[in-house]
Amino acid sequence: MECFSLLRSDVPAFIDHLGGFGEVVAPHSKGEVSYTFEVVKDSSQVILDYNRTLLPLKKMFLPPVETMLNFSLKDASFTPVEIEISPRLFFGVHSYEMQSILRLDHSMLSGKVESNYFRRRQSSRFVGISFHPDEFHFSESVGITIEEMEGFDLFLNEIEGDFQVYVLSKNGAALLKGFEYIESTNPEVIEGRSFKKKIRYHYNRLPRVFQYAYNSPIWAEVASRCVGCGACTLTCPTCFCFDVNDEVTVTAEDGMRQRSWDSCMLAAFAEVAGGENFREKTSNRTRHRLFRKFKYITDEEGLPWCVGCGRCTAFCPAGISLPDIVNELIGEDEKAQLPRSVRV
Amino acid sequence: MKPKVAFFDFTSCEGCQLNKLNLENDLLDILKHVDIVEFREAMDDKADHYDIAFIEGSISSPSCVERIHDIRRRSSFLVALGACAVSGGVNAMKNLHPIDQVRETVYGDDKYLFATLPAMAVSAVVKVDYEVRGCPMTQQDFLKLLIALVLGKQPQKYNSPVCVECKLKENECLYNRGMVCLGPITRGGCDAICPSFGQFCTGCRGILDNPNLSGMLDLMTNHGISLDEAKKRMLLFNANEVQL
Repeated sequence: MECFSLLRSDVPAFIDHLGGFGEVVAPHSKGEVSYTFEVVKDSSQVILDYNRTLLPLKKMFLPPVETMLNFSLKDASFTPVEIEISPRLFFGVHSYEMQSILRLDHSMLSGKVESNYFRRRQSSRFVGISFHPDEFHFSESVGITIEEMEGFDLFLNEIEGDFQVYVLSKNGAALLKGFEYIESTNPEVIEGRSFKKKIRYHYNRLPRVFQYAYNSPIWAEVASRCVGCGACTLTCPTCFCFDVNDEVTVTAEDGMRQRSWDSCMLAAFAEVAGGENFREKTSNRTRHRLFRKFKYITDEEGLPWCVGCGRCTAFCPAGISLPDIVNELIGEDEKAQLPRSVRV
Repeated sequence: MKPKVAFFDFTSCEGCQLNKLNLENDLLDILKHVDIVEFREAMDDKADHYDIAFIEGSISSPSCVERIHDIRRRSSFLVALGACAVSGGVNAMKNLHPIDQVRETVYGDDKYLFATLPAMAVSAVVKVDYEVRGCPMTQQDFLKLLIALVLGKQPQKYNSPVCVECKLKENECLYNRGMVCLGPITRGGCDAICPSFGQFCTGCRGILDNPNLSGMLDLMTNHGISLDEAKKRMLLFNANEVQL
């Protein structure tokens, strides 16, 4: 693996150089304390040290609201919306975020291919960056280290303020071509970046814990604090559920079919015709959310469908922590294995 | 034949009607679909029968009750327009105080001259077919309902919180800016217009079905306001909807 050193002060020039490939999307500041992925207009505005963006990078492949087709009521006809493909480069992506895209690839491209996702996913390049875990990141517990480089073309590993650039693919090498401010160096192991939040068990033990957790009293306890706003699922990088809606314009002659992100934490999600709801209580919905991350898909794919970005916890106004729920389930599971006489 | 549409006001600021006249870009399109036959703020004409009657304002006096019964009898569809008509809105705050005290505060010694009732939703008195929520409702929301009725479709109902639209717009959560927002338990459909401009949600579109009120009060007090203040915020628009 080739490795180059890159000074922090040369990063804006590097981003400008990458602009030669296509549109560059990178983290920017948003609001008072938040971050967001945006198209780079001024490379000096790109943020290199950020904890997490408000919405995951998913929004670039599955937009929050997307028009699928335009229709006309006059002659009952419709035309699908064609997506234009332009090469895009995603800069400053954290390892868990990249892993979430790989998981989405699996969800969207295996079996019947989601064509809009596929078009947007084509000709994209990823330049990763290391991060300093805050109190919410727990990706190591789901098998994703800070330096996990799968999926990236280039990876910037921070070392004493500056960066080591790893070249991970032919595409990555091509991106570096012609950029002068780098020097060949030897990759170093970087110490001292540890995760503060952890799930107590290795992730491959979690499906078994969840197998016996369906009727746990913990779900109702969590539901008593949950107000059902849906922030956890709407900011989750691996959630992909959506709702479809037809909007008719005020002329009542034409309209469009839109798809927008939905959330299984919302009461209306599992409501069906006639007003029946097969996940009526918040506790049912909380349980479903976690089972989707650690049991249902994991049973089939062998990987947790949670990447440990910590968004659901960081953005929960009620302060409900996903790793804490998992740790509580683990504690309950351990207690259940003790002899009956010592269980309290 | 185009459906005959009318607008009526009860106890309210009349803003929900007035903002129909601000639909300048769409008015001509609207008039292609419907005939407006009665609208006190815009015209003098009256009619005997209405296909769609839009009612603004809450029911808060015996004369209101009489009038709304009369309108209902002469209407095919009746739509409650805005927070006051849907739930009583801010008017319903008076229901939290003894009615005698309220009358005295407003009318002083002349209180016996003015008959009054607790502020009620229109649906507390007559059958309401559809509702457009908000204080005021967004024009888009009103147009969507009107077009759905014109096309003979069921208008969309909202039972998802404001947070959904707010998150999809990638707004920074106002709780992260030190504000206390009612978005998590307030019915959406407003495109999260207030939080998008940095104003916390005051709950004007009403509280969701089956809300976790105790969880919400905990959440609000955990973000630095007193229980009293939290309850007041919740009751501002929803005194008839929540019991605290």
